[in-house]
Amino acid sequence: MEQKRISVKICVGTACFVQGGADLLLYEDFLDPELLGLCDIEGTSCLGGCKTDDPKWKAPLVEIAGVLYPNVTKQRLAELLREAVDA
Amino acid sequence: MLEINNQYTLMKRRIDAEVLKAYFADTLEAIVDTLPIHIIPRERDPNRCCVYKERAMVRYRIMALLGVDIDRDDDEYKPLARYVGEALAAEAQPLPTLTTITPGCSGCPDEQYRITDSCRGCFARPCLANCPKDAIVFTNGRARIVEERCIKCGKCLDVCPFHAVIHVPVPCEASCPVGAVHKNDEGFVEIDHDACIDCGHCAQSCPFGAIAERSSLIHVARMLKEKVPVVAMVAPAIEGQFPGSLAQIKAGLVALGFTKVVEVAEGAHITALHEAQEVAERMEAHAGFMTTSCCPAYMELVDRHIPSLSARRSTALSPMAYTARQCHEQMPDAKLVFVGPCIAKKVEARAIPSISMVITFAELAALFVARDIDIKEIAAQEAPDSSLYADCRGFACPQGVSQSVLRRSSKPVQTMNINGVDKKTVRLMRSWEKRPPEVDLVEVMCCEGGCMAGPGVVVNPKIAMRLRQGADVARVGTIPLGGKKHV
Repeated sequence: MEQKRISVKICVGTACFVQGGADLLLYEDFLDPELLGLCDIEGTSCLGGCKTDDPKWKAPLVEIAGVLYPNVTKQRLAELLREAVDA
Repeated sequence: MLEINNQYTLMKRRIDAEVLKAYFADTLEAIVDTLPIHIIPRERDPNRCCVYKERAMVRYRIMALLGVDIDRDDDEYKPLARYVGEALAAEAQPLPTLTTITPGCSGCPDEQYRITDSCRGCFARPCLANCPKDAIVFTNGRARIVEERCIKCGKCLDVCPFHAVIHVPVPCEASCPVGAVHKNDEGFVEIDHDACIDCGHCAQSCPFGAIAERSSLIHVARMLKEKVPVVAMVAPAIEGQFPGSLAQIKAGLVALGFTKVVEVAEGAHITALHEAQEVAERMEAHAGFMTTSCCPAYMELVDRHIPSLSARRSTALSPMAYTARQCHEQMPDAKLVFVGPCIAKKVEARAIPSISMVITFAELAALFVARDIDIKEIAAQEAPDSSLYADCRGFACPQGVSQSVLRRSSKPVQTMNINGVDKKTVRLMRSWEKRPPEVDLVEVMCCEGGCMAGPGVVVNPKIAMRLRQGADVARVGTIPLGGKKHV
């Protein structure tokens, strides 16, 4: 059975980019090649989540298979993708 | 040295942005004293001992942002609102640039080499054989270091087959190329400002954020808010620091309220021309090697620690100085703000009266966030003809300066480059008095990786370099370094 590819969008709006989003763009360096093979990763324009005052919604944001996640670090991105792949 | 973006630098950027947001909304003085609570809510899982310590550190960060010399002027009774009032009344770039936050300092134990439980007490005993000071003894079948004899050469660490030797450094002391950072009698960090060359390596290395740079960001924000004519002189390293092209970054600066944006690469062209001519004259006269003079931390290093190199430095002014001269001639009434990756530039700028302030890319990032300016979406500014100086944008990268000089030389010039200055490089440069390098031009950059890896940058140089090569920010992750220019 062929596994569905996972669409991953890393926000590269300025606020996300300068608050850690730029480092996520080094995904080729820190993600497991197996995960890389199953995901389509790209940078995307502002996803809008940072515009609220809710302290939960902090840059950088990443959208994985249509779901928006705030406060994503390299480690968190790897975890989230692993979960998405295993789901 | 720590990674450019870590928990601490990201927190710093967030604090800067929050302060600026409040400043532009005219609420700064009203909310600044409660801002630490807003930024560190009680529910937060703290990285320090507790949220209260984290709040105290946010307060210190805000003080550094306001340019306060925390070493000398830390008054716990004084509300931040009063610091804000005083900061806004000040006119000049605050010096000395670096200040320490003693309550944040962890008082790390002295540097040591230690032998751990992994020691197997082997028969070959390479640690014992290689120690030049007989500092290794064996007790109960295990190696131990006699601290009084240890000279911290690290030979035992290199040779142990079980990796049983660990090195515990004091990060700030280890990173200082000139021994200006040390622990005081109480065991907390102290900077000897007479020896300090303002490279900022200590601030970049401290994992506790106990060394801070005093900012002039609030003054620049005031100029923008009051709409005084102000020119942004952007360092060559700016390309690649934000998610867009150089022309978009320039448009972003104009959107912030800067009257005009000038590339310091224009001044770098003059520096390179001057150095090309000077090196040719020296070669003619068989006068030996010449060093570049654009790195301000290197200039301070020579002034304070290596007098034998004084006459070796090019007499060319720095790109910033030439650019400031041009801008001042064209717009004598405008204030000039240098935007760069460098802390030492703040010191250099104080000696150039036409330059009002210096801010870093990290501080510019906070301005963009506070003003909600999205570089990725902004319409690019019309690019002026830059053919004369476009190659000088390379001044930001290792070998970039020497290459710009070579392109402007009529004869072949032998070059070498010093990419990053640490204690060892300082020893090497001291030895040049007796054993000069057999080249014509020595390019010196105090930061390893050039200005693109300076203490004030926002973006990992790997990503910044790809963006500089023209990569689209949405696809930048897939492009291997050194890949083809993406159109």
